[in-house]
Amino acid sequence: MKQTLLASMIALSALAAPAFAAAPAGLDLVQPISDYKIYVTEEVGKLVSETQAFTDAVKAGDLATAKKLYAPTRVHYEAIEPIAELFSDLDASIDSRVDDHEQGVTAEDFTGFHRIEYGLFDQNTTKGYEGFADQLVKDVKDLQARIDGLTFPPEKVVGGAAALLEEVAATKVTGEEDRYSHTDLYDFQGNVDGARKIVDLFRPQIEKQDKAFVAKVDKNFATVETILAKYKTKDGGFETYDKVKERDRKAMIGPVNTLAEDLSTLRGKLGLN
Amino acid sequence: MTDTRDLPSPERRRVLFGLGAAGAALAGGGLGCPMLAQANEGKVTEAPKSERTEDRHAYEGVHQAGIVTPRPAAGMVVAFDVLANDRADLERLFRTLDERIRFLTQGGPVENLDPKLPPPDSGILGPVVSPDNLTVTVSVGASLFDDRYGLEAVKPRRLSRMVGFPNDALEEDRCHGDLSLQFCSNTPDTNIHALRDIIKALPDLLFVRWKQEGSVPPQAPTKPGELAQNARNFLGFRDGSANPDSTDTQAMDRLVWVQPGSDEPAWAAHGSYQAVRVIRNFVERWDRTPLQEQESIFGRRKASGAPMQGGDEFTLPDYSNDPQGKLTRLDAHIRLANPRTPGSEANLILRRPFNYSNGVNKNGQLDMGLLFICYQADLEQGFITVQRRLNGEPLEEYLKPTGGGYFFTLPGVRDAEDFIGRALLLATPHSNTTT
Repeated sequence: MKQTLLASMIALSALAAPAFAAAPAGLDLVQPISDYKIYVTEEVGKLVSETQAFTDAVKAGDLATAKKLYAPTRVHYEAIEPIAELFSDLDASIDSRVDDHEQGVTAEDFTGFHRIEYGLFDQNTTKGYEGFADQLVKDVKDLQARIDGLTFPPEKVVGGAAALLEEVAATKVTGEEDRYSHTDLYDFQGNVDGARKIVDLFRPQIEKQDKAFVAKVDKNFATVETILAKYKTKDGGFETYDKVKERDRKAMIGPVNTLAEDLSTLRGKLGLN
Repeated sequence: MTDTRDLPSPERRRVLFGLGAAGAALAGGGLGCPMLAQANEGKVTEAPKSERTEDRHAYEGVHQAGIVTPRPAAGMVVAFDVLANDRADLERLFRTLDERIRFLTQGGPVENLDPKLPPPDSGILGPVVSPDNLTVTVSVGASLFDDRYGLEAVKPRRLSRMVGFPNDALEEDRCHGDLSLQFCSNTPDTNIHALRDIIKALPDLLFVRWKQEGSVPPQAPTKPGELAQNARNFLGFRDGSANPDSTDTQAMDRLVWVQPGSDEPAWAAHGSYQAVRVIRNFVERWDRTPLQEQESIFGRRKASGAPMQGGDEFTLPDYSNDPQGKLTRLDAHIRLANPRTPGSEANLILRRPFNYSNGVNKNGQLDMGLLFICYQADLEQGFITVQRRLNGEPLEEYLKPTGGGYFFTLPGVRDAEDFIGRALLLATPHSNTTT
């Protein structure tokens, strides 16, 4: 039992230093948040115009063009997901996946990008998807209007960096987001860009709190971005997810999970509730 | 764990089990056999009572805990891919594992951070972690000795990637791994708490490959003078009756622990080979099989666990007067596994299995079976030889191994300066291990 006691003491002493984050006095978050709103506004603008072109192709029966536009259009949604997700009704309508529906592809409320993806890439047709195309344009325009009128909550903006990495860790690493088109790397990049943007905008404030933290986050972003860059195609797009080498997939998991852990402390570091 | 090994047996049992009649009866909470009078008292959501939450195994010792230490009610094996980029990362992995397991197995208050930050502990055991008999046993797979970390030259000689046996239907994503952790404790929640702690501490170095939980049913305490019986598996038979005596240190040195001066790399001394198999049982079909057939397939009586010749669970099976297999079939499970012929004692393994139940298959049949875990000093002489003898046994009709892997369980952590895996890192010439 002596040894047991000793071991308990070792365990206790290891915990001796409670690392309370320094109270961040006088951090000005107004500027980065307004800059972030500009970024989101630009992205949602692109989302609306590109969705228009994408859905026009679907309605015109131009399968090849529709397939080509599917992934690059979605990227704009993936990049602003922390804000877009605040409108859960639209998020479900625009971006729900087949797994979210008990009845699968036959579910009436399975609409949006992934419903059309199923038609284009699995069924190899645009026929019958005109209604989903109309609905999608209507939804992204609605999203644009709502974002326009939104006062951005600071904790949602800062917390968005972690939320985007959670998206990557949960659905992008496995390649189950775009299961019919296998264009997951576009979404992957969109999430990473969106998170990177938030970190960049708040960089001066975070560095004031914890310089080493910023360096570590930068290093992990760089690792992920370097691997993603290996799969870029000449036209600015990405290879399909099945081309990703197992070794690269594994090499991204560590940095992605570490980013998710580290960015989860961002709100606290900036003194947000 | 070695300190408890040196204690006289009753003392060890008291330390490890915190036994008392009431404690034993209530131990395991909902899993136990509560006395009726007490079962009727208390409010619905009151936590089940256990007097064993403070049971702990010493972390330091010649051997790791969780092998010859008694098997508690809840077990779990988790296999990981190691994501370390280089040797320095690998050392950080082992050092962090060491620090976390040291804390988790000894217990204590969790760290408090600014509430604006995510809490460092999941909190599922409350603000003070109780050890609850937890052991976390660290083993490494053959793939850790590939070209990534410069460990090729010191791979344990008998460590290999598990190859399917004829009756196996291995699923790739439930097999193998660079590293395995075996969690054993009194409750599944304690194992889960430890796993989540380790995952949170090592996001950049470990990736969960597969995980299998299991349990063994607690029994009423034995009366004085009675031998403790082995737990039953999901086929209803007692499992482990012929296990070598894990309290016999000489037998364990011979059968379980790699010895200094053997043909294994020197660093591997006091380690062991771990074989894990996720073996599905076709329980519906088994339950539709006549009792006498079940018994002849196993070679034991179902109710008592006695061999076919009679006696009780601990009567040694004797095949000397039964060369034709009239009493115990020649292909009965226990006769193939341990024929008790001259020389076959070299193939004895130390079994430490748990029952698992995972849900339902598409056909509506239950997905359950045995999380088979065994330890041996020589993997080829041990599990692989035994399993080869079992190939084609009649029991196979009711079994389908689907996962698992072979691992080498690292030697124990000697003292506060040592850390798990240090001997392995120091064993290679270009080691940059800092201790």
